[in-house]
Amino acid sequence: MIKFVVFICGAIVMSFEILGSRVLAPNFGSSVFVWGSLISVFLAGLSAGYYLGGRLADINPSSRKLSLIIIAPGLLLLTFPMYSTAISDWIFIKDLGVRMSPLLASSVLFLVPSVFLGIVSPYTAKLMICSLHTSGKTIGMLYALSTFGSIIGTLVTSFYLIAIAGTNALIMGQGILLIALAIPLYFMNLSCTIEK
Amino acid sequence: MLRIFCLLVLCLTLFPLQGFALEPSEKLLFEKNSLYQYISVIEDTVKKERYVRNQKREYTQGGIYLDAPDKLRFEFTQLGFVSLAFLDKDPKDVLFVGLGAGAMPKYFTARYPEAIVDIAEIDSDMVAVAQKYFYFKENEKMKVHVDDGRLFVKRTKKKYDWIILDAYQNDYIPFHLTTLEFLKEVKSRLKDNGIVVTNITSPFRNKFFDSMVMTYKKAFPHLYVFKGKKSANFIFVATASSIIKDKDSVEARARKIQSDRKFDIDLEDFASRYELSEVYEWKGAKVLTDDFAPVNLYQHQKSKAQ
Repeated sequence: MIKFVVFICGAIVMSFEILGSRVLAPNFGSSVFVWGSLISVFLAGLSAGYYLGGRLADINPSSRKLSLIIIAPGLLLLTFPMYSTAISDWIFIKDLGVRMSPLLASSVLFLVPSVFLGIVSPYTAKLMICSLHTSGKTIGMLYALSTFGSIIGTLVTSFYLIAIAGTNALIMGQGILLIALAIPLYFMNLSCTIEK
Repeated sequence: MLRIFCLLVLCLTLFPLQGFALEPSEKLLFEKNSLYQYISVIEDTVKKERYVRNQKREYTQGGIYLDAPDKLRFEFTQLGFVSLAFLDKDPKDVLFVGLGAGAMPKYFTARYPEAIVDIAEIDSDMVAVAQKYFYFKENEKMKVHVDDGRLFVKRTKKKYDWIILDAYQNDYIPFHLTTLEFLKEVKSRLKDNGIVVTNITSPFRNKFFDSMVMTYKKAFPHLYVFKGKKSANFIFVATASSIIKDKDSVEARARKIQSDRKFDIDLEDFASRYELSEVYEWKGAKVLTDDFAPVNLYQHQKSKAQ
């Protein structure tokens, strides 16, 4: 279950990033500045998430808490269409220039969800590490799963999903997927001692 | 073994060359990876022509005859001028979205020196290329604004008689310049009798073409299509006014403009290719929106019409 969660979260990060470029284009174009803003904001979110996730993981980690960590971006993505246009329109009107406008818009729209998705990786690592003897193996596997998920998320979104459904519907779908993952996680009691 | 090795080396050295190979008659005058694209300026010393190209040789963005730099080299740029026949008066305020080699604005201002022309071009390197290699010059009536076309249209307070959308590279079309929302923004910048003209390339009838017809049709009361004879280009002319223009009146107007403004292209012949968009409308095609616009995928997919 946890492996699946890590995979899906990895996929959603990158899928959301690809869709983010579609969200920004009407107000900020699709220049290299837009892509630069988008990528750096996602990476900033992930790195903050990794840091925070590591600290949180040391305070009584449980799958119940993990479920709450995943529900948060789930709700943000599910309600994304309700606030995204208003925010981008507002920043468009403020017009901070070709670099700052998309950077600010990316930060407001994408930073918080990517922080939460970043937390998932170290947190699950802590949940899954049963002994220091095999911790390297566990962490390596989680990294690989998360990044493999990201590859699949990127490809499936840019090659197929964009031609199947609208950007907003896809982002809401990702929100639903995250919530659907989080709910069973809440009632499970996944920790190393049980799995062993 | 050695032979295989030699063959391999040969393949490796030949392969990359093939992509960028020039004809023996061609020489490369300029190339640059700008912020937005790869730009190359190539001169054909036999044909005495000069082009601006992106990666692929079959996709030429624009060009000129060296002996006659004021003539229009490409059919789609010539055909675009047929749209002037849909205007009842001479255009006073004109907007070009996309500069390319600058052939269309140059040709236009030579015939309508009194018009005020704005040009929105995202790539400042393209502006420099148009100036240096294609005799394009700004003046007090013709200004280039280095900005994304959509952002320029959204920000400008001005209204135009004639808007030319020519920001579609053949191999890459920015999706945010194809959507219903964008076309509505364009329409809001048109005067009451204003028109918008665009060039859609569709070598085989693809889904993108079908969707563009339906999207224009949704944004504007009327859409007219002019098909290229020598090329796979379709000129779309959409009007802000709900009054329909019949073929006879368009032809008559084209004839008048032709002689009044001394066009050296056959506008009347172009006008005779008049078709109403009904011919191309297919209800199964999806309207492109900011939310849903798989432009680059649709370009490679065959139309399902008929």
